[in-house]
Amino acid sequence: MTAVTWSAEQRRAFTLGLLPALIVLAAVTLGPACYLVITSLTPLTPLTPGSGLDFSTPLANYSQALLDSSFVHSVWLQLELSAITVGLQTLVGLGLALLLNIESRFMEAVRTGFLVPMVLPPIVVAIIWKVLYTPGISPLYAVLNALGIAAGSLVTDPATALPALAVADTWEWFPFTLLMVLAALQMMPKEPLEAARIDGAGAWQMFWYVRLPFIRPALTVVVLFRLIDSIKAFPLIYVITNGGPGQATEVTNYYAFIQTFNFAYWGYGSAIATMMVLGVFVLSLIVARLGGTQAVTE
Amino acid sequence: MQAKIRRRQILAGGAAAGGLFALPGKAPAAGGAKPLQGVTLNVSCWSAPYPLMLAKYIPEFEAQTGAQVIYTTPSFPVYNQRMDIALATRSDAYDVINVTFIYIGRWVGAGWVLPLDPYFNNPKLTPAGWDAADFLPGTTTVFKNAAGELCAIPWIADVMMAAASRYDIMQQAGFVLPDTFAQMPKMLAAVNNKDGLPGFVTENHYGWTFIGYLQGYGANIFRNPPHDLMPVLDTPEAVAAADFFCNLLRSYGPKGVLSYTYDEVAAELKQGGMIYTTENEDFVAPMAMPPSKVQKTCAFSMFPAGPAGRFPQIATHGWGIPIGSRHKDAAWQFIAWSMSKELLLRMFRDQGWSSLTRRSIIEMPEFRQKLTLNGYDVAKMYLDTVNLGEKGYMAYRTVPPYPQVDREIDIAIGNITSGQMTPKAAMAAAQKNSITQLHRAGVKL
Repeated sequence: MTAVTWSAEQRRAFTLGLLPALIVLAAVTLGPACYLVITSLTPLTPLTPGSGLDFSTPLANYSQALLDSSFVHSVWLQLELSAITVGLQTLVGLGLALLLNIESRFMEAVRTGFLVPMVLPPIVVAIIWKVLYTPGISPLYAVLNALGIAAGSLVTDPATALPALAVADTWEWFPFTLLMVLAALQMMPKEPLEAARIDGAGAWQMFWYVRLPFIRPALTVVVLFRLIDSIKAFPLIYVITNGGPGQATEVTNYYAFIQTFNFAYWGYGSAIATMMVLGVFVLSLIVARLGGTQAVTE
Repeated sequence: MQAKIRRRQILAGGAAAGGLFALPGKAPAAGGAKPLQGVTLNVSCWSAPYPLMLAKYIPEFEAQTGAQVIYTTPSFPVYNQRMDIALATRSDAYDVINVTFIYIGRWVGAGWVLPLDPYFNNPKLTPAGWDAADFLPGTTTVFKNAAGELCAIPWIADVMMAAASRYDIMQQAGFVLPDTFAQMPKMLAAVNNKDGLPGFVTENHYGWTFIGYLQGYGANIFRNPPHDLMPVLDTPEAVAAADFFCNLLRSYGPKGVLSYTYDEVAAELKQGGMIYTTENEDFVAPMAMPPSKVQKTCAFSMFPAGPAGRFPQIATHGWGIPIGSRHKDAAWQFIAWSMSKELLLRMFRDQGWSSLTRRSIIEMPEFRQKLTLNGYDVAKMYLDTVNLGEKGYMAYRTVPPYPQVDREIDIAIGNITSGQMTPKAAMAAAQKNSITQLHRAGVKL
């Protein structure tokens, strides 16, 4: 008879205790994800009974997608939008956090004010920017007109439509960066700053050599979260541009939405969604690895 | 227990239906229990003028029948997406729905909406005077399934027209309403930016608003719909039509012309914010009615003719019952009430609803008199357009995969107007992508 050790008993108890939670977690997260992947291997459409069980050409949706110029175009657009929004949000949030990192009641109120866009429902944000970008009713255009500046519509010009969406997205989400970086800055010990000051470091040197290394792990988390979220950008596109002009703002998740819900290609839409999940996973892994390496190096 | 209650409610509803239809659209049910007491009907349509007008009368239906009506009117694309999913999943979320024109092939073809013949042919469920044959054949034919059964009752015959909100500006410039495409650019060049107003606007659903131009140039969407669905969007005629249409948008449209939705166009026209349009009758007719600011300056004409002839687009939408509905009889009572002659006549008289589908009302002298808008015989234009549609050029629109091609056309027009592509390149891309979409939909080309 084998003696049961205390640590084995402990592991068993932990496993049993965790099991219900793991089962629920698997049911609500892994279950739908598995269903998505399975669906992506079929030509499922509600118009063809039995198409959800047709696994005769399981990779057909994937090969179709790779040959679909609209899909490939949407991926490039997605990367462009993500790069602009994550970059802008990180820069704006970081800059404001550095400016607002002063302890006073007034600054606390200002900081709270800056958080408002982030807590608004996304659809409200989309409506705000829809109004701002509509020449006939926009106060922005009214001001420009009063100044004698004849500005065209930003969201129907292919050169400005994507940047216009990026600005709206940045307005909504820079507070997240602000909040995270500010929290990191406020946790920073005073000694390194004082030492640097005594050594005669200027403002830029203080930032680059003292503050930035300290907040880098927080910035990594911010970039990771915003990168994942940027791929989910939907309400702004749906309300403001509808993917246009032409396909100038038809990013991948919007394209998947159109294929799935306008055209009822559920299998094809699932394949696009699966590829997006994989893409996000790989990107997250890269960012997390980079951040982790840097944090260890620090 | 719950099932028993439902059965009882349905039986009670059916038994009392006769009482309801005795005086459709008018009087409350005579004493006693109301026929649909305890029934909740979920009714949905996109936010067109008719369903918005109908909303004002729904409390009367509720008072007559005892039913509670949950009535939603989201925007056109939102409605279609929502309903496509609900129907595909046989959901019981809705009892009465709008069967959208471009989805007829899909929804009726797949059997997702009930045939209504058993309802309107049943004297116990429908009063004799209701008369299903009164609806214009052009509007009912498209709603028939393969067995020839009618699957929706058409609430609109929407015809494409041309209209000016500021005809005074056109007259001052020495022009009348264009009768041909060739007359349009010259007129628009003369009036554009007069009083600071853009010359031309139309809604950004180009798979609808552009097609009259496309066909007017002698082109089409498919080679021979509904039998041969090979797209023909890259022909020289199609490219010329796209070039012409996008030039109108680009040269004479307002800032952000590509973002104008149908409701924005209708609102701008009533405000006198644009000069000229080619749009649906139900969006332009309100210019002649209060509270429009252009009642004295609006003018109307038939959709202009192109080199190949005049092809004003005609659409119809109808009320139907999804197969998943749990209150089918009650749903039919709602449809029969909302499409009764009495109620439609009241809507016409009280609110000016004029895109009617009942011939008996259209042929009334009162209709022609009331639809003489600011001196223009819009009733004649309306009937002439409906008659033109009987030539069959709208056949492209009810084939199941049209929504896919519709979007490709939207994209092509957006690409040309915004300068991203030449007309030839954009239409070639639309052709190529449409073929891909049709293959994906399982269409053999």
